[in-house]
Amino acid sequence: MAYDCIIIGGGLSGLTCGIKCAEDGLRTAVISSGMNSLHFSSGSIDVFGYRQGGGKVYRPFDYMKETAKSNPAHPYSRIGSRMVRESLEFFNDQISLAGISLHDNGDENHFRITGLGVMKPTYFSQDSVFNDKFKKAVEERASIAVLNFDGYRDYYAELTVSQLRKNPIFKRTGIITGKVTLPFYTRTEKNLHEFRSIDLARVFDTEKYLPRIAEEIKRAARGARVVSLPAFIGIDNFAQIHKRLEDLTGCLIYEIPSLPPSILGLRLDNALRSRFAALGGEYSGGDRVNGGEIMDGELDHIHTENYGDTRHRSRFYVMSTGSFFSAGLRSGFNMLDEPVLGLRFSGSNRRSDWYSAKFFDRKGHPFLKYGVETNKYFNPFGSDGKAVKNLFCTGAMLSGYDPIREGSGGGVAISTGYFAAKRIIGEMKKNK
Amino acid sequence: MIKLENISFDHCIKCTVCTIYCPVARVTHLFPGPKQSGPDAERLRIKNPGLVDESLKYCTNCKRCEIACPSDVRIADIIQDAKWKYVKKGFFRPRDFFMSRTDLAGSLGTIFSPLANFLFSFFPVKILMDLFLKIPYKRSYPAYERGTFRRKFKKLAARQKTFEKKAVYFHGCYVNYNNHSLGTDLVRVMNAMGVGVELVREKCCGVPLIANGYLEKAKKNALFNISSLSGAAAGKGLKIISTSSSCTYALKHEYSHLLDMDNTGIYNSIEYVTKFIFDRFEEGARPPLRPVSIRAAYHSPCHLERLGGVMYTIDLLKKIPGLDLIILHSECCGISGTYGFKREYYQISQDVGYQLFRRIEEADPEIVITDCETCRMQIEMNTKYRVMHPVSVLAMALGDER
Repeated sequence: MAYDCIIIGGGLSGLTCGIKCAEDGLRTAVISSGMNSLHFSSGSIDVFGYRQGGGKVYRPFDYMKETAKSNPAHPYSRIGSRMVRESLEFFNDQISLAGISLHDNGDENHFRITGLGVMKPTYFSQDSVFNDKFKKAVEERASIAVLNFDGYRDYYAELTVSQLRKNPIFKRTGIITGKVTLPFYTRTEKNLHEFRSIDLARVFDTEKYLPRIAEEIKRAARGARVVSLPAFIGIDNFAQIHKRLEDLTGCLIYEIPSLPPSILGLRLDNALRSRFAALGGEYSGGDRVNGGEIMDGELDHIHTENYGDTRHRSRFYVMSTGSFFSAGLRSGFNMLDEPVLGLRFSGSNRRSDWYSAKFFDRKGHPFLKYGVETNKYFNPFGSDGKAVKNLFCTGAMLSGYDPIREGSGGGVAISTGYFAAKRIIGEMKKNK
Repeated sequence: MIKLENISFDHCIKCTVCTIYCPVARVTHLFPGPKQSGPDAERLRIKNPGLVDESLKYCTNCKRCEIACPSDVRIADIIQDAKWKYVKKGFFRPRDFFMSRTDLAGSLGTIFSPLANFLFSFFPVKILMDLFLKIPYKRSYPAYERGTFRRKFKKLAARQKTFEKKAVYFHGCYVNYNNHSLGTDLVRVMNAMGVGVELVREKCCGVPLIANGYLEKAKKNALFNISSLSGAAAGKGLKIISTSSSCTYALKHEYSHLLDMDNTGIYNSIEYVTKFIFDRFEEGARPPLRPVSIRAAYHSPCHLERLGGVMYTIDLLKKIPGLDLIILHSECCGISGTYGFKREYYQISQDVGYQLFRRIEEADPEIVITDCETCRMQIEMNTKYRVMHPVSVLAMALGDER
């Protein structure tokens, strides 16, 4: 066998699993086709944000325990809240080894601010995202300046503010909007309107213009104590840049996730991939797994697009290929399936069953709960109906939960990936 | 008319992830990034070729955008295609002509190799070439060997017939004219695995021709190579192996994607060499290897990444006993074939590579290992380290006996 573990899909779940396996000394490879959905995410990790019948979840682990009996098919119910917590601690440790400090509130969620000015419950956020520290300052009547960059078209500070004003927390706070002009870029050959988040983040990343940018922020903030910026404060070195900007301006600065590419998500992706590489994991980004053969309840081999007839073999496999957007699940006109191995799928084939006519339906859209069906160890079922024992499915491709309505996507991705890695490590030890 | 198979730009969801991973957009604002130059602008160009934005010429065709794309858009192909379809090119381009005719330049260079090597490293000549041909004088050129690899191979050919298992070697221009030892190392490695090497008639794979806009000539070469390889190799069920990641990528993918050639007859036979070695080792044909006590840093070339072949090279290197391996963060070296040999792109090419050079120096290995010949030129010019091909490192582990 060439590998101990091949992971198909290099997103949040696959990389968490890969890091755990590689850390234990397993020969691990990740095969990914295209960049993962962290690039489109808020960069915060939601564990459980919303209750079944509506309303917010404040204590996610308690809510997990509360609903475990009534919702046994949910991935959290299968893993158990203790292991979910263990997996999140592991994730936090790994991310901090890569130089990113994550904020959490212990047992409780904290609330971050979105680009539309909505407060959303989440579990982990980077330190530069709105959390209780900023909330406290607001409650002490510090005023807020919600700023944008002059010429940047993917974000509107006025939109954020119009929502924030409706929130009781900000009732007694002065909120202003303003624009930061980047002096260097008024002379560039490139039209400022063509700038995307990544271009601006790179301006910060050079650190060359920080004192001038700080001056601009101070001018635009007009004495406000708290400053909101779209999340461009650097990529690799953002923690130091954030601190320097706060020192230079004397303001508390928090970041708001922007339209893709999301710099907050990009930082997490960089951190995960660098941890995986540092632990000796092998990452292949240029190929796509397009099939494999299941024999007698075991996945024997897989093959990829670029190596057609060649068989890749491994002792264990993990599939974390994502949901419909990431091509982990596929929809046709009147059919749904898992396209790589044709694993047993839970969901209706009738197109009209997939969605609710109301876009913001409180019950959510049924298709979001569709996915691959597994046993309690997250082994999927092959076409012969038998569980595939050396294959684990993790993350967004799983059925039984609705990441959007529950606000649970990040937590499920991390905990199922971690769970699969623990199972594989255990099995490897048994076989020795 | 829009051809149906060429509408992969329509799959673009405008997520801009490709622009994050574009090494050129990272260092210069002259290039608006793969999304804008590729799928975005393609819509406009199809409607009205007058709307073409010439900034797309800064694309190096490294294909990192395609690796990053979550929606399977062949971004680099779209840009390459548009570069020569819509942008006006001058009739008289002596530099581009000679640079892309690697067979012609190589044949001449190997005949007059001492003179050619002297001239190309002689400072006044370099200044003149900078002035008249716009080849930056700061760039060092690869040296020519005396004679061709094919001639040298004749001495080895007799022994190859003794092997029952055989493979065809597409050596490419670099081995033929600039680096014979890589070719002979390959023959040694193949023989040690019980495989005899055959050569068939071949022409330049076409990568430099495509990069310089000589698409008709590239198609002629492709046609020649496909018929030669499919007759000799695929017909007999032999694998075709190459020691160049870019040649492999062209034979396997660019022939059909970019040049509209039918390469289905050879598609499944073409393999980059480390993949072939991986399979032979798995079959049990693993020769005894002696330890090589070297600290090496491995740089993965962009086109090998696109091919999904990096796993096999790393696997091979890990199997060489005693090799202390550092895997460098995946980054473009910036040279991109002939791109870095042009004065107008020289600084961009150097800026792109800067991070890689810095990381190599931080790692401070004894040698650098990489699969690509032009990456090698770029790294040797910009760092103090010697660069070797994985196959040559494996050959070292085989010992001295022939």
